[in-house]
Amino acid sequence: MQRITEQTATEPVLEEGSSLTRDAMHRLFKNRLALVSAGFLLLLILVALLTPWIAPYAYQDQNLLLGASSPSAQHWLGTDTLGRDQLTRILYGTRVSLMVGFVATAVALGIGVLWGATAGYLGGRVDNAMMRIVDVLYALPFAIFIILLTVIFGSSMLLLFLAIGAVEWLTMARIVRGQVLTIKRQEYIEAAIAMGLSRWRIIRRHVIPNAVGPIIVYTTLTIPSVILLESFLSFLGLGIQPPQSSWGSLISDGVENMENYPWMLIFPALTLSVTLFALNFLGDGLRDALDPRASKD
Amino acid sequence: MNEERSQDLLAVDNLRVCFHTRNGTTVAVDDMSFRLQPGQVLGIVGESGSGKSVACHSLLGLIPSPPGKVEAGSARLKGEDLLRMSEKQLRNVRGNRIGMIFQDPMTSLNPYMKVGAQLVEPLRRHRAASAKEARAKAIAALGEVGIKNPEQRIDDYPHQFSGGMRQRVMIAMALMTEPEILIADEPTTALDVTVQAQILQLIKKIQASHGMAVIFITHDLAVAADMADHMLVMEKGVVVEQGPPEQIFKGHQHPYTKKLIDAIPTSSKPPSGAPRKLEQLVQVNHLRTSFSVDRHTQVHAVNDITLDVRRGEILGLVGESGSGKSTLGRSIIRLIESQSGEVLIDGVDLYQLGTNKLKRARRDFQMIFQDPYASLNPRMTVFDTLAEPLLIHGIAKRDTLTEQINQLMDDVGLDRTSARKYPHEFSGGQRQRIAIARALAPRPKLIIADEPVSALDVTIQAQILKLLLKLTEKHDLTMLFISHDLSVVRYIADRVAVMQQGQLVELASTETLFQQPQHPYTQALLSAIPRVEL
Amino acid sequence: MLRFLCKRLALAIPVMLVVITITFFLIRLAPGGPFDQERNVPPEVMANLHAQYNLDAPVVRQYFDYLGDLLRGDLGPSFRYTTRSVNEMIARGFPVTMELGLYAILFALLVGMPAGIIAAMRPNSLQDYVPMSAAMVGICLPSFVLGPILMLIFGIWLGWLPVSGWGSTPGDKILPAITLGSTYAAYIARITRGGMLEVLSQDYIRTARAKGLSTWRVVMVHALRGGVTPVVSYLGPALAGLLAGSFVVETIFQIPGLGRFYIQAAFNRDYTMIMGTTVFLAGLIILFNLIADVILVWLNPRLRQEAGH
Repeated sequence: MQRITEQTATEPVLEEGSSLTRDAMHRLFKNRLALVSAGFLLLLILVALLTPWIAPYAYQDQNLLLGASSPSAQHWLGTDTLGRDQLTRILYGTRVSLMVGFVATAVALGIGVLWGATAGYLGGRVDNAMMRIVDVLYALPFAIFIILLTVIFGSSMLLLFLAIGAVEWLTMARIVRGQVLTIKRQEYIEAAIAMGLSRWRIIRRHVIPNAVGPIIVYTTLTIPSVILLESFLSFLGLGIQPPQSSWGSLISDGVENMENYPWMLIFPALTLSVTLFALNFLGDGLRDALDPRASKD
Repeated sequence: MNEERSQDLLAVDNLRVCFHTRNGTTVAVDDMSFRLQPGQVLGIVGESGSGKSVACHSLLGLIPSPPGKVEAGSARLKGEDLLRMSEKQLRNVRGNRIGMIFQDPMTSLNPYMKVGAQLVEPLRRHRAASAKEARAKAIAALGEVGIKNPEQRIDDYPHQFSGGMRQRVMIAMALMTEPEILIADEPTTALDVTVQAQILQLIKKIQASHGMAVIFITHDLAVAADMADHMLVMEKGVVVEQGPPEQIFKGHQHPYTKKLIDAIPTSSKPPSGAPRKLEQLVQVNHLRTSFSVDRHTQVHAVNDITLDVRRGEILGLVGESGSGKSTLGRSIIRLIESQSGEVLIDGVDLYQLGTNKLKRARRDFQMIFQDPYASLNPRMTVFDTLAEPLLIHGIAKRDTLTEQINQLMDDVGLDRTSARKYPHEFSGGQRQRIAIARALAPRPKLIIADEPVSALDVTIQAQILKLLLKLTEKHDLTMLFISHDLSVVRYIADRVAVMQQGQLVELASTETLFQQPQHPYTQALLSAIPRVEL
Repeated sequence: MLRFLCKRLALAIPVMLVVITITFFLIRLAPGGPFDQERNVPPEVMANLHAQYNLDAPVVRQYFDYLGDLLRGDLGPSFRYTTRSVNEMIARGFPVTMELGLYAILFALLVGMPAGIIAAMRPNSLQDYVPMSAAMVGICLPSFVLGPILMLIFGIWLGWLPVSGWGSTPGDKILPAITLGSTYAAYIARITRGGMLEVLSQDYIRTARAKGLSTWRVVMVHALRGGVTPVVSYLGPALAGLLAGSFVVETIFQIPGLGRFYIQAAFNRDYTMIMGTTVFLAGLIILFNLIADVILVWLNPRLRQEAGH
């Protein structure tokens, strides 16, 4: 930072400071990969929202006469064995996968932040007990439990949201707790206490603003792992059930037919992987931009 | 001229080191030249960022590269230019002909390896010594640097040694190959003053007995004067002056050297005009604070302390690390809760106040912290930082707020126009000014200043100390000034309290304490202060 | 060390109990009985079936009977294949899964750690970008995408390697192991890089260099121990993921392992099999977490000593 101003004669105009957030945004905008990723994701979200209106066909429309056909002018990405339009199926799959990704991440975020912040802020025995619970849960084979749950209750969107959210909150809780603990030890918190601020004001003005950065970063990185988990379950046939499609179930269909109709595998696989790339690049970009080490002198 | 050169052990000429980063190029060392004779101690003095460490590290190819790069110059070790050597040739010099010790002994040894394994490495590497020979030599070296039972201690891990002992291990490691030059990079900065004195003594002794040349890098003029035969003063990458210590101190031709020397807190503070009041503001009675380290051990950080702070005075509180001085400061204002005892401020016992009353009472006593980087919320502007206490305690109305904040900024010497800036846009000294302004904002009666200048360079330190003196006078403040640095305390305090292991060992007026220390620990502390004696 | 081990074991037992309890009662929560799908079963036969599977006893009684059986190492009979026990199924499937998992983790470590170390030695250079980009690809190509692609390329188009089976044709273990291991190789590379970068910036590394040690010795002797610590703590969770991943890989490559049995059992609603396998896998994962913890303590002399007394 070379913006240190020497004390000169008083000028009437106030100099504008540059907040950490603004500096971070500035760094993010210089990261082309992260920007392209963000653009791609925005486009994907837009498309997913508008799918019912822009999809060329209905997702359950079959054309058994056509069967599996390679990409053509009518069906840009070809059709599956039942003659369903692949592009339409992928678009609807995107809707499902993104929805699971966002909602389950929101669930994880909600539980994780609340749990981690409480443990970190209260500290002491409460913290010990709460984090012990997280440790214990960490040791459990969650993927297996989710499968167990889908077997018992049948798979539904709601179950997926809850089950995946329930797995992913653990790491979130750990990260938030660590962050809160670090902030709590900072002298500016001590200074705030010494000033006579109320606990709530300290949390609101001093703790939360300093904790959001890493939470945003980790949230961005949670979404791809949630999408992955959902696709994993759907691939095994335990997640989204037909006739609905998700990326996982489309890939599963593709694998069965890849010898004869490779496009059935390639397009959904490509969509999934590109989305994962974009989310990871954006997450890494955000992390680099928000890294406190980069923003210190 | 050439005649003379051939005797030089190390001849550095026109050294220039740059750091190329995305934000541009910084010249860390520019056109540096010096000579080092066999057996000579060369002291390099400068503030942080002066390039003193970078220069020495670059001689051995130890600067991070990229971004660092040696752009020009030569450094001839008995005629061989270190800067032209390949990495492989340089490796044969490092730890062999030139040994190094570093600032922080707590982190400079590998925590995963026994000290013995680390000690033998240079010898095994450079002299192809057998394991047995190397071990015997390591034990001897440990003994020489004053570690008791070296035969056993050699199989300990670094965490089993104290800070001072680790620095001895580092020295022993550097001695293993009998290097021609020892580079000591701030070797005592992280140590307590009494330990510092011992380590300095040890380096002198070893330098004499082995006839090594030493390059001693330090920010502390007094330490350099004590150690060195010849001194270099560096500022912003440039050697501004060099010569024997007497010349540096007596001659001081260069304004920067003069500034550095003037910044050394000498004697006591200028007598203030106002007559001293003897009335008490704070009375601490039998205060005890302890922490449980684990289930079995308790540390009594503050152990039955009774003292008073008089209205309008600056009470210095000194002690080494772990003496409990910071805990005492925080216990007095209930940032850390004490287990027993009372703290009366203006006759009110803080430990009897309920949560809400305490919060309201807090406007009367504020705190200034050591690290100006950590004590300001990085996401709040100076304006918001200063507005918070004013609004919370109802001192300012919305319409007078700006005016009051301007006043505060004037008081601490900050530019009014920078009110909308964030902490990271200021230098360390300026940040400490912001922190001081924040402490002043609620117009407190008492300020607890916990090592407020120890993170700052000497010249900045002098400015902040002057500012604190000016402000206590102007606002009729009472201050508890906590510091490990006796000369700083001597400069600023009216009375001084000395703490050792949680207990108060002596409390006297500054004059008395420095002239006639009563307690042996105080005497030890005082004799350990490096002093400029010419 | 022994005391530390006992302490951790004491912690593992209640966790295991929680797993067993949750699994047991979850299964009982399932709407309808396990045999409800069987149509036209005479009531006598149904009663017989219930008796055979101890379903006529009160639930609490069933629970303790199950715990008792578990203590004796008996996971009960399979619901679907009346002639087989869960133990037999695990005994058949687990060695295959374990072998697959072992190859996968070996592949992950052997590729991931060197990649991470190489990247960390020169951050922000080509030497860093290449392995880290590869790692990013590994993370974004999940096993159920990578597996089919490898199969398509090396199995079908090039015909170099067999695309299914386990131990029947030479080389049929290569593709599954790589498929399963690649994601973990990627994560391990990233974690190793992070850990090594952290350690390489430490003061004691500068000390080591100042002693004139070679880069190789600095990295391998001084930095590695601290640098791999995060990798070791990642191994526990990685193993849990690996087991779940084996479900997919075994399905894709038609490997007769535990994962495939588990998925089949899930489709068949074979409750005892699911329960038994869940308990078994949970135990395994807890055990591996324990081992990872022990290695972590052993790696750090300070922790080792604290664990000692």
